[in-house]
Amino acid sequence: MQNSINKVMGWVLAGSLVFTSCNKKLTEYNPTGMTADVTYTTAKGFETLVNAAYTYTRWWYGKEEGYSLSEMGTDIWTNGTGDVFPQLSRYDNLQGSNTSALGMEWDNFYAAIYLINTGLAQIDNVPDYTDKQKSQRSAELHFLRAFYYWHIVETWGGVHLTTEATAPGVIESTANRTPVEDFYKLIFQDLDYAVKNLAATTSDYGRVTSPIAKAFQARMYLTRGMNAEAAATATDLINNVDIYKYKLLPKFADLWNMGNLKNSEVIWAIDYSTNLANNDLVSAAYPSGHPRGSNSGHMLFLQVYDQVNKPLLVRDVPNGRPFNRYMPTKALLDLFNENDDSRYQSSFQTAWLCNKAGTGAGNNFKPTDISTFKVGDTICYTSKNTLDTTVMNAKHYTTYDISRVYNAAGIPTNRQFYVSLKKFKDSTRASAGEAQSARDVFVIRLAEMYLVAAEANFNLGKPDVAAGFLNTLRTRAAIPGHEAAMQITGAQVNLDFILDERARELCGEQLRWFDLKRTNKLIDRVTRLNPDAAQYIKDFQTVRPIPQSQIDAVTNKSEFPQNQGYK
Amino acid sequence: MKSFRTGIKSPLLSNALLVMKITTFLLLVFVLQVSAWGFGQRLNLRYKNAEIAGILVNIEKQTNYRFLYNNQLSAIRQKVTINLENVDIRQALDNLFSQTILTYKFMANGLIVINENAAPQATEKKVTGKITDPNGTPLSGVTVTIKGTSKATTTNEQGVFTITAEDNDVLVFTYVGFDPQEIKVGDNTQINLSLTSAASSLENIVVIGYGTLKKRDLTGSVVSLKGDEVKKIAAGNVMESVQGKVAGVDITRTSGGAGSSVNVTVRGNRSILAQNTPLFIVDGIQYPNFQDINPNDIQSMEVLKDASSTAIYGSRGANGVIIITTKRGAAGKVRVGVNTYYGVNKKTGYPVPMNGPQYAELKRQGARTAGTWNSSADDAKLFGADLQAVQDGVSTYYPGLLLKDGSQQDYGVNVASGSEKTKVFFSFDYFKEKGLLNNDYSGRYTLRLNIDQTVIGTFKVGLQSQLTYYNENRRTDNVLTVANKIIPYYVPYAADGSLVRQPGGANQINPLMEELPGAYINNTNTTRILSSAYAEWKPFSSLTLRSTLGITNGSSRNGLFLGENTITRFTATGSLAKVTNATQADLIWENIITWNKKFGDHALDVTAVTSYISNKVDSSYAQGTGQIIPGQGWKALLNNPLNLGIWSNYIGSNLLSGAFRVNYGYKGKYLLTVTGRADGSSVLLKENRWSFFPSAAVAWRIIDEDFMKDQNVFSDLKLRASYGVAGNAAVKPYSTTTGLILIPYSFNDISMLAYGFDPQNGNRNLKWELTGTQNIGLDFGLFKNRITASVDYYDSRTRDLLLLRPLPGSSGHTRVVENVGKTRNNGIEVSLRTVNVQTKHLTWSSAVTYTRNKERITDLVNGINDVAGGLFIGSPVKSFYDFKKEGIWQTPDSALAKSFGYKPGDIRVADLSGDKCQPDDKLDATYDRTVVGSAVPNYTLGFSNDVSYRNFDLNVYVFARVGQTFVSDYANKFEPNAIENGANVNYWTPENPTNDYPRPNANISRASMPFATTLGYKDGSFVKIRNITLGYTLPKTISQKFHVNNLRWYVSAKNYFTFAKQKDYDPEGEGSFDRPLTKLLVTGLNIEF
Repeated sequence: MQNSINKVMGWVLAGSLVFTSCNKKLTEYNPTGMTADVTYTTAKGFETLVNAAYTYTRWWYGKEEGYSLSEMGTDIWTNGTGDVFPQLSRYDNLQGSNTSALGMEWDNFYAAIYLINTGLAQIDNVPDYTDKQKSQRSAELHFLRAFYYWHIVETWGGVHLTTEATAPGVIESTANRTPVEDFYKLIFQDLDYAVKNLAATTSDYGRVTSPIAKAFQARMYLTRGMNAEAAATATDLINNVDIYKYKLLPKFADLWNMGNLKNSEVIWAIDYSTNLANNDLVSAAYPSGHPRGSNSGHMLFLQVYDQVNKPLLVRDVPNGRPFNRYMPTKALLDLFNENDDSRYQSSFQTAWLCNKAGTGAGNNFKPTDISTFKVGDTICYTSKNTLDTTVMNAKHYTTYDISRVYNAAGIPTNRQFYVSLKKFKDSTRASAGEAQSARDVFVIRLAEMYLVAAEANFNLGKPDVAAGFLNTLRTRAAIPGHEAAMQITGAQVNLDFILDERARELCGEQLRWFDLKRTNKLIDRVTRLNPDAAQYIKDFQTVRPIPQSQIDAVTNKSEFPQNQGYK
Repeated sequence: MKSFRTGIKSPLLSNALLVMKITTFLLLVFVLQVSAWGFGQRLNLRYKNAEIAGILVNIEKQTNYRFLYNNQLSAIRQKVTINLENVDIRQALDNLFSQTILTYKFMANGLIVINENAAPQATEKKVTGKITDPNGTPLSGVTVTIKGTSKATTTNEQGVFTITAEDNDVLVFTYVGFDPQEIKVGDNTQINLSLTSAASSLENIVVIGYGTLKKRDLTGSVVSLKGDEVKKIAAGNVMESVQGKVAGVDITRTSGGAGSSVNVTVRGNRSILAQNTPLFIVDGIQYPNFQDINPNDIQSMEVLKDASSTAIYGSRGANGVIIITTKRGAAGKVRVGVNTYYGVNKKTGYPVPMNGPQYAELKRQGARTAGTWNSSADDAKLFGADLQAVQDGVSTYYPGLLLKDGSQQDYGVNVASGSEKTKVFFSFDYFKEKGLLNNDYSGRYTLRLNIDQTVIGTFKVGLQSQLTYYNENRRTDNVLTVANKIIPYYVPYAADGSLVRQPGGANQINPLMEELPGAYINNTNTTRILSSAYAEWKPFSSLTLRSTLGITNGSSRNGLFLGENTITRFTATGSLAKVTNATQADLIWENIITWNKKFGDHALDVTAVTSYISNKVDSSYAQGTGQIIPGQGWKALLNNPLNLGIWSNYIGSNLLSGAFRVNYGYKGKYLLTVTGRADGSSVLLKENRWSFFPSAAVAWRIIDEDFMKDQNVFSDLKLRASYGVAGNAAVKPYSTTTGLILIPYSFNDISMLAYGFDPQNGNRNLKWELTGTQNIGLDFGLFKNRITASVDYYDSRTRDLLLLRPLPGSSGHTRVVENVGKTRNNGIEVSLRTVNVQTKHLTWSSAVTYTRNKERITDLVNGINDVAGGLFIGSPVKSFYDFKKEGIWQTPDSALAKSFGYKPGDIRVADLSGDKCQPDDKLDATYDRTVVGSAVPNYTLGFSNDVSYRNFDLNVYVFARVGQTFVSDYANKFEPNAIENGANVNYWTPENPTNDYPRPNANISRASMPFATTLGYKDGSFVKIRNITLGYTLPKTISQKFHVNNLRWYVSAKNYFTFAKQKDYDPEGEGSFDRPLTKLLVTGLNIEF
């Protein structure tokens, strides 16, 4: 018995010894994970932070959510059948609770801000950076912070502003409401720092440089009514070709050539990689990625050409993958004089050709007319004008003239077949179904500087100078031989004309909503020119609703109310 | 004077007579008068082959001696040959008895008492008997052991056994599924016995955490199922077989895909972020992959529901614990079982989309609303090149081309054998299920070896091990979604019989393209090992020390090849090949000390446990696209030129625990259980690392009270009450740290490393979810247990709920896991078993389970609903929040419709409230949405009937799940612009003012159609005849000719009849039309040698 008890005690003792040694095993071992304190404290690691700070631009540029928030709800676009954010296109029941695009952009802009603020607080502690490296990377972060805050403040107004980042693991559940002026104060501070400290050039196409910061600064000056500064900065970038090397391409059409994306007119572009694995599509390795990835712009504006005449015209790579999301308003089409202005034919596709030879009814409006088509024959034609019915019926192909798409009031009667923006089409995609395009998104191109200079000079009371800048663009845009017809005089210049010119030059380039807002023309022009949205738009809609997820999550709700007018 | 001899056969009577005999003998000693006697008398005995009894009679004749002996003494009948002259009585008897076990003793007055020798070999006798079940059916293979010895035998085919034993021996009869029974041999040579089925018996041993207990001594809420019950329904996994059989356990199967598992919850959903799956313990080792277990290997399954039973599992116990115990070998005859079945899988209800003409009409009506179609004259314009097909009424039912009959088959052999010291059980099983889709199959091989070896008397070692290997190809490609939306007047085949890639030249890939050989491969090979070894030392009868080392190891390889014509790759470029490898290794070391002792009326049973669990998962994948030779799949990733990607990951955690349990019983009537467990986990930071989980339970066996002795209604009555706290170890490893994520990026096409913050912030303060459960239960049996029942009421409240708390995006993070929020589940569970008829040839018994659980969230972050997360205080976890559809706006109401911004033909929803808490003539998401339903049922009911008549047995099992809502993919599939095909529904037109579906409109998509989601909510209540099995057991007289002990043949119809409000759909599938559920018609054989 005594012996047994000893044995039991032995067991217990052995057990407790094992127990104590096991206790050490309760320290977590995490060889896969990365944390900020380990990663961002060396030059090599900090570089990854700076790179990451750029990635958030991809959530807006080239993405459906970004297009819907920057081009839709304006005078120039309305919704096609496939639009998934009609509330942004038409302001119909636009709320923070029903529009996922708002939350996606909000969260990612602020994630970028948080990362940048973390980086700016940390960068002085990186031991193996030289001072030059430090000021360069710091300047990049300052630029990006200004860039992201501009999107935030213009989209939502005076919302949360901070230059600090809480430590990882510390939970921040409050937000502040900061006046718009304070945002711009910070934006200009950051841009000043960036302009001063950024290198003039870079071998990393897509990384920001001092001229890029200047160009964005010009846009900001214009936005804030600092017209003299805007004019001076824009003019500087236009005129000093020797320094900056920015030149307008001779032909507007060449801007959209996939083989010519990195060209002298581009000041800054979001560089989507031709190796799609470098882009942002959600994947097992990048679970918080974008559901569609890369540039989606090539799909969104296309009519469903493959439903016009399926046996003869099928979906293919050159014609693109038609998502049927957006269609031009009649007003946008009316802005173009297609006889003089090459930008109409360079921006829009109006003819679709047979890509599958066969015999059949080619004219949907005259099904008895059976004829034989070979590859290259016209199958569908869309026109910005009203055509004679007998003429249209005489054709072997189907015509959608303006009357077959819009009624007299300009409301689309058919949202499937229409003149389609082709600027972003990408025939280098590997297959017709490929949703990812490697097309770079032009954030700032030199043409915008001409328009900034024109608008600033007009605001400064110099319409002739403004006309000069506009005429440069219009001359470049003119169909050869029609240059004279494209010229305008200072007397013709007014704010609406400048906005018209911006639409002709920049439609689809994710600037329209900001342009209308800056010029205080949003309500006016939408009401006049976009009948779909006119019935819904209200005065308060110069800011978007704050995403409901933000409103729900903040704990200081009384200090962080929804934007006025939204619920 | 006569000598006393008794010759009564009945053992009971003979015992009584023995007492009488002795009393009489004592009287005789004093009263009998013997005239003359003396040793001097001489005898001559000359006999050849004569019975001793006869010789004794002759001696009595020759002398004055009188013999006293028991006539039943077998030796007295022994025949001897003897040749003696002139011997005295002693010499005569010595000689006579020398060849026997008989002894003699002289008493007063010339009386000689004859007895058998006490020496064992001298008193052994042959005992035979027949063992039957309560119905009188012979049980073959019953182990008969002499208690305390290694001597054992088993019953033969007629249930008959023979064993040599002594009067003082105790025979122990054991048989799987029946109560062990002990009988003292005494005078008997014939012992006939009817064993009682274990399920209803109080003496039945129930497995609980780290130990066993007699059912009568249970204080917690534990349901025990025997192996026979587990395998009654042919199913790939054990949990599917017991669906509806355990009150409080909700088991649903939501996919009919091959090898798909089931969802199991015990007493509702407590957790929101975390899983609500119970903890599975297989032979003492935690093992979540219950689908690996061969149902024929199961000895018993115990479900631990209340906190007093589960708290011994501490941080892992809150979701209930399911303990599976596998079969062991037994001493005696080798028993071989063969089980096999084959069945055909067919889809249960599956709704049919619109056919060609119906779809064409939808398209017309949509165009009509948009103003581009007025009459058939506009058909040409509308349908263009499709006009001919429309006019011809062409229609293809695409899902029908994909859905085929599947099959299910199982082949298993098991062997149980052993000697007294070594016991072995081993088995092999092959299960294969073919799903309804081409190339959808799951094959499972299971091997098991269980050994118990006694080394020396008090020291025992053993091993239980299971190896499972799967070869599976799962179709998880939503092919039926495409088949249901492809436009039906497009034909899938070209004139030459080949497949058209895009039927009608439209944008849908032909779903039949995936059926081509090699187009879609999703092959997984998984091997999992569950192995544990134990050593057990019992230094004295009251103390047991046991140490168990368990290893569960799993490795899997998933090879995926998606050809360029598959649904997924159709919207990308080229084929995709990917291989994913994962290995998982758990190491579990547990030491258990058990000590029990009785002190008079007090019984004490103490268990102490130390436990260490380590868990590691390594995984990696590699992938590429655009393979040159498709057949190479993932086996030659280097031949994929594009999008090469690699990834690897490690996750590990450790858990260290100490636990104890004290069971105390007073007079066996008043029972108390106290348990506690301390868990320390690596996934929590130091401050919260250790947690303690206490519980206590009491039970009162009212039936054992004196005042219950005189009644004969109750045969059992016990009241139980318990309270305890258990955790849900649901914090994922590394949740306390804020991680970085790698974001793909490049400058100038040169890839760059970019690490940004994970959108999910880390939380350093995380701790376990805690669930406190109180449970009150009543167990009773009526009319000699013809009716037995358990009724439990419980109330479990979960606090410190792990919630994915949304953070304001402005903070830089969008979410964090936090211990906030509370849930509550309370309800009532009833289990009832009745024996309705019990006659010689016919028995009918029933089992009813009823569960009613009220689940709701009681607190969330800041005490407010999380609309985005779909969480609502007062509603169950899985609730649906939306507008309430009232119908369709009708023409007479157009003015009212317009005031809301709608027009006739639009969906009409209720104006529930407004900013002043009353209807405000506006419809908005803030005030007019409400919880329209929940996936949680109001109650579930199981009703099982077993009838046996002579050689036939019948099981009919009905299962009902009532009150839940599901979202029907089909009902939601209404495309107002007819861009795709959809459900064949009754939609609004000016001529058809229905309230079912809105008006088609070519200019709006489903996404932009107001209130489109309100169409999908459906009442998911159903009653299902889960199982009808008819079996026939071949009479032994016939089967024995083939040396077969038992041969049963059965046919079974599983899930064949479903009664539900939703037509053509099995609502158990929760609305998916990608994975239709199946019904199974199966036939099988059980053979025992």
